[in-house]
Amino acid sequence: MQRAIERRGIPTVSVTVARDVTEHLKPPRAVFVPFMMGHHFGVPFHRGLQRRIILEALDRLTQAEQSGEIHAIPTTWAQARREGIAIEKELGLRT
Amino acid sequence: MTATSSDREQLRPGLWATVNERYPGSMITTPDLVPLARLEKPLAESRLTFVSTAGVQPKGTLPFDVVHPVGDYSFRRVPATAEPADLEIHQLKYPTVGANRDLNVIFPIERLRELATEGVIGGLTPHLFSFIGYNMDPERLERTLAEEIAAAVVADGAEAALLAPA
Repeated sequence: MQRAIERRGIPTVSVTVARDVTEHLKPPRAVFVPFMMGHHFGVPFHRGLQRRIILEALDRLTQAEQSGEIHAIPTTWAQARREGIAIEKELGLRT
Repeated sequence: MTATSSDREQLRPGLWATVNERYPGSMITTPDLVPLARLEKPLAESRLTFVSTAGVQPKGTLPFDVVHPVGDYSFRRVPATAEPADLEIHQLKYPTVGANRDLNVIFPIERLRELATEGVIGGLTPHLFSFIGYNMDPERLERTLAEEIAAAVVADGAEAALLAPA
């Protein structure tokens, strides 16, 4: 999919939680986050993290030098969850 | 706490091999690389599109066929102006525990609109694109759905594309 779009001259970048699958697929550009499947942009209500993942992915559009590079975003799922829980407490969604 | 290298490994290791064992031949391995296309304008002037395998679709559109044995090779256009309340998810293959509370964890339509409003990106295409990842015939997917979405992305005037294979 990504390769089909890139072949049409449109630069592409994907966000993946499965580095091994991405290594097999060889998309032109990718960022890897060590998050749970279905949670590529982080945790609920954590706007800052959701935004950061998007921006780090978009950075690859200008920064990536070689096709097939997978850039790991330095974060952990545990940290994302901790921050998400704190935000939910602030929002009164969790006691 | 400093992240260690093991912290950064995927949460579900060996996914490719696991799925390929369960559904032989369903996983793609590509031998070659596609040459990089380049942004023709700065990102702040470029129109971005988003392509998702999350099975997100506008309420009222034909639900993805999540029980078909070989998968659903159709896609849906999601208006870039849609609110999360206008959208629903039809798929069975990834946990939606987060997305059910905040769709932006898998389909960050509100964050993308904010970046467009702030001028970080030049704008969004009129539509974003969505399909389901459960497709057991990768050759058919590459021949049909991948090409159809790529053509739709071009027709929508995209100058850059963000993808999230769920």
